[in-house]
Amino acid sequence: MIRRVEINYRGVFQKRLAKKIGGDVVRIASQMGKVGFSNGRYSDAPERSGIPSKYFAFVSSDLSEEELEAECGAELDIDQADVSIVLDDTLVKGVEPWAWSGIRPINENLRDGGTLVVVTRRTHEDLLKHIPGKPRGWRLATYEGSQSFSGMWVFRDDFTHERTLGAIAAAAPDVMTIEAVEACLNNRHPNDPTRAEAARRAFDEVVEKMKTVVVGTGVESKEAAIVLPKWFEFGEGTVVAAVPRGFEMRPSGQSRNQQYKRGTTRSQRPIIRFDLCTKCALCWLECPDESFDPVPDGLYDVNYTYCVGCGKCAQVCPVQECIVMIDELEFDDESSPWETFSKDRHAYVTWAEDKKSLGRLIHSYVPGSADPQTVKGERIPPKHG
Amino acid sequence: MANRQSIEYAKIKGVHDVPLEEFYTSGHRTCQGCESAATMRGFIKVAGPRTLVTGSTGCMYVANTSYMTTPWIVPWMHTQLGASGSSAIGMAAGLRALMRKGKIPDEEINTIAHCGDLGGGDMGLSAISGALQTDYDLLIIMNDNESAANTDIQATGLTTFGANTTFTPPGKRIHITQRRWKKNLAGMLAVGHPTCKYVATACATYPTLDYLRKVRRALAVGGPKFLHVYAPCPKGWDYHPRYSHDIGRMGVLSGLFPLFEILEGHVTYTHDARRQREPVEKFLMAQGRFAHLTKDDVRYIQKMVDEMWEEWDVPGVVPTKGSLKT
Amino acid sequence: MANERAPKAEAVWERRDLLTGCQAVAEAVRLADVDVIAAYPIRPYTEVMDAISKLIADGQLDAEYVIADSEHSQFEIVKHASSVNARTFAGSSGTGWCYGLEALVVTATDRLPVLYLVGNRALDDPGAFGVEHNDAMMVRDVGFLLCWVTTPQEALEHVLIGYRVAEDKGVQMPMAIAMDGAFLTHSQHMVDIPSLGTVRRYLRRYDLSKRRMHPDNPISIAPQVNEDWVMELRRQNWEAARSARTVIKEAYREFNGVFGDRYTNPFFTEFMTEDAETILIGLGTVAAPGRTAVTRLRAIGEKVGYVSMRWFRPFPTEELRACLGRFRSIGVIDRDFAHGSPDDGGILMEEVRSTLYPLDNRPVVVDFIAGLGGRDISISDCMAMFRLTQQAASQAGMDGFVKWIGLRE
Repeated sequence: MIRRVEINYRGVFQKRLAKKIGGDVVRIASQMGKVGFSNGRYSDAPERSGIPSKYFAFVSSDLSEEELEAECGAELDIDQADVSIVLDDTLVKGVEPWAWSGIRPINENLRDGGTLVVVTRRTHEDLLKHIPGKPRGWRLATYEGSQSFSGMWVFRDDFTHERTLGAIAAAAPDVMTIEAVEACLNNRHPNDPTRAEAARRAFDEVVEKMKTVVVGTGVESKEAAIVLPKWFEFGEGTVVAAVPRGFEMRPSGQSRNQQYKRGTTRSQRPIIRFDLCTKCALCWLECPDESFDPVPDGLYDVNYTYCVGCGKCAQVCPVQECIVMIDELEFDDESSPWETFSKDRHAYVTWAEDKKSLGRLIHSYVPGSADPQTVKGERIPPKHG
Repeated sequence: MANRQSIEYAKIKGVHDVPLEEFYTSGHRTCQGCESAATMRGFIKVAGPRTLVTGSTGCMYVANTSYMTTPWIVPWMHTQLGASGSSAIGMAAGLRALMRKGKIPDEEINTIAHCGDLGGGDMGLSAISGALQTDYDLLIIMNDNESAANTDIQATGLTTFGANTTFTPPGKRIHITQRRWKKNLAGMLAVGHPTCKYVATACATYPTLDYLRKVRRALAVGGPKFLHVYAPCPKGWDYHPRYSHDIGRMGVLSGLFPLFEILEGHVTYTHDARRQREPVEKFLMAQGRFAHLTKDDVRYIQKMVDEMWEEWDVPGVVPTKGSLKT
Repeated sequence: MANERAPKAEAVWERRDLLTGCQAVAEAVRLADVDVIAAYPIRPYTEVMDAISKLIADGQLDAEYVIADSEHSQFEIVKHASSVNARTFAGSSGTGWCYGLEALVVTATDRLPVLYLVGNRALDDPGAFGVEHNDAMMVRDVGFLLCWVTTPQEALEHVLIGYRVAEDKGVQMPMAIAMDGAFLTHSQHMVDIPSLGTVRRYLRRYDLSKRRMHPDNPISIAPQVNEDWVMELRRQNWEAARSARTVIKEAYREFNGVFGDRYTNPFFTEFMTEDAETILIGLGTVAAPGRTAVTRLRAIGEKVGYVSMRWFRPFPTEELRACLGRFRSIGVIDRDFAHGSPDDGGILMEEVRSTLYPLDNRPVVVDFIAGLGGRDISISDCMAMFRLTQQAASQAGMDGFVKWIGLRE
């Protein structure tokens, strides 16, 4: 018997967190007399901030370590996860780790009856608006929490690590039991019972919120299987064709790399109040992902298929409330916001203000040093132009 | 045939003079807020389509072309870590020979080699030096994110004193293991290559347009040119990606990274930190890589920066002291 | 070039001159109208660069001549010049070749047909100038064409054949021509030099076509890949190396057609092997004492012969197997070392033995480590090697025997 735990996380921001969780699954399982090992998906490295990545933990109570390694370690990815943890809920919109893969459904590698466990403040129904259905039943569970983003050097120790261990124990007690999780944490922190308590609370929460997703529920998956060319089907000398040259003043008027549309890197998206824009062009000029499209009226449309949500445009924009970063799960399409704005300015501004009123995250300079603050923005009336 | 410039570029007076078209386009596997990606986008935007580019191994190689695809619209080729200088020579020499011998049409084609601080400032120094001694029209752009970022952040010869990297972790016994002072690379190359007409430093996006103007100026000057670009790295420097522009600005305004250009021997400061400097502390404390520094460490860094601006014979360029006064 | 109006038939051979191996290669570089040359000094190959720089200074060759800062840069320069569609030439010796090895490896994976002269030299330490084949052997597994020449004439001709093979659309691999340091690089012989017109009839213009770096042909070369790609890329290069054998045969056929019948077997030359029972096989200039020893032994009725290997990569598996399978015993002369290898033999011995493996009646193979660091291999050394190889044919347990020749012991 093999139990596979998959941990979906945001590259760099949650790397340490994912690695700690994967490592502790192995430690705890081994304390329970099982064998296990943990690794990251090698092609994710070197990691890039925000890009969807995976960590794995494999546990068995009857195989030798070598057999387990042979079954699980030789694979680049897994296709039979018993538990799939999602450390940032915006990943439920799908993940595109690298070129040629396309956007993969978050539950693609979940086995029949397996459990997708999402740390989120959202409801099951909210999440299922973004997750494709599967041919057989699977389970969805949540435990409450926000993105626990850190950087390379400063780690935010906010108990997400401990709580996730509790969540895994709830979703798959045959990987490890909650008692074993508690014992491990209490042993590690003899004077701090709060960590084991946090794990237990997450355990209880997941048990309570675990629901079977019936077949037929969920959005339709648009992604095709990955097809890579055979050795004689592509050019020699490692030559690939350049992106064809092409530019027009219109939404998506710039030619782009069609094989890697990296929008799933984004956990927040910029919402633009085009009516407030002074056409200073800084958003377009500063964008490190060439995601702004100049359009004929002198404005800059944003292309959500490629925008990675870094927030630099919002930071450099000199106009208050003109570009605001909003949680990606508030949106379900990637069409041109400028086109929507052009069709009906008033409706667009109202829509944008509604989205903005949900609050936005204010980040400290060093991600791991403090939780981002959620603040309400100022409602700015439409500007006539 | 050498040392001419036939591509006519309009002056970049304001933001709206920047060409709208991209030649390095979306769909590259860089970090959120990657300033190094911004430097690539910028140089090819202003250099235009009649350009050949090589990219040295490093973050900006691996991130940009992963995997078996490309974000480049102009011809681009990988080159080895230490080969930015030699790759530029190779392209320029090949083009010159073929044009002179009538094997391809005679026209100006820019050759730009892009490298990182590990590839350019450490391993590739010898080849860059070789390139700067030639008379080929070539431009080497060293993108300085102060680490071997592709291998998950190791110290290079250009890492700021005190920074946390995986080779220089703060420890229980030694709280600063990154004790090497950053190489003065642009100064070294300018001072060491008397016939090289243009060496400059820039920061990726601060001051706005400065970097783009310097690339244009470099391309307009004949012969080999070197541009050292300071490129804040949200991953390795550990700050939130949205602050990339601000971190660069703080680095420049503190005087820690001097901005200058040397055109045919004349030094011009883009930001003259002799007159005004923000304290380095503000810059340092905005990054997780300096989170372990003590007040004393910050004072030491401040002292070194002050010395560079107040005591060097040519601040930011030549570290000799007092030789001009005697 | 001079007068293009008279279409009269041009003589194949223009003149005869006294040239060293290095100078002969320089003449061939002129004839091949090479566009970019990158130079860096190291003994003994350097003389080729000395000669080329003079040809350029005298106006006999129109090429960019770049003095590189190191071998690594040297090889990167020609790699990138080759990628913009320029015909290129470089070279090195000994540890210099090793210093540039990274650049050589990527030239092979990028499939760029740069041509190099390797003036074989012992590897450091200690510094030594004499011949040893390990330097060139460094590239034997990475997708290089690799051959050894034995005379200045052969060297000149193989630069032309080398470009013809390396630049062929079905091959497009870098090519190293190896030449024994001192014995060949620096010894002067009379050489027939063909006319430029003849060379032009033989050697087509270099064209990377859709793989060239030019603004009119926007491509990206060598984007980073993950585990999904490397097998397929390796297979492409494996196929190119395999099929190069056919192209080599074509190239020699064409060469014979243009220059007169110069070569019967592209891959190796046999000397008095027809009814031989014992032969020696070696790479490079050791053929001279080897063949002389054959002549002398034949004079006293011994059935011996000599096989001089020219092409090492691609290895002429079928041809060599058919040839060597006829003999009772084979002595391999290795001017190289492969410490800790199977049976502790040299590189050539390992390859010859594995070539023979499928045969039902395998000849006995013994190995001679000889001439390392430029140590002489004399006629009498070769006679001794023949004796031992003959003895191995009848004495049990000699297969795989390794003997050091000329060693103080």
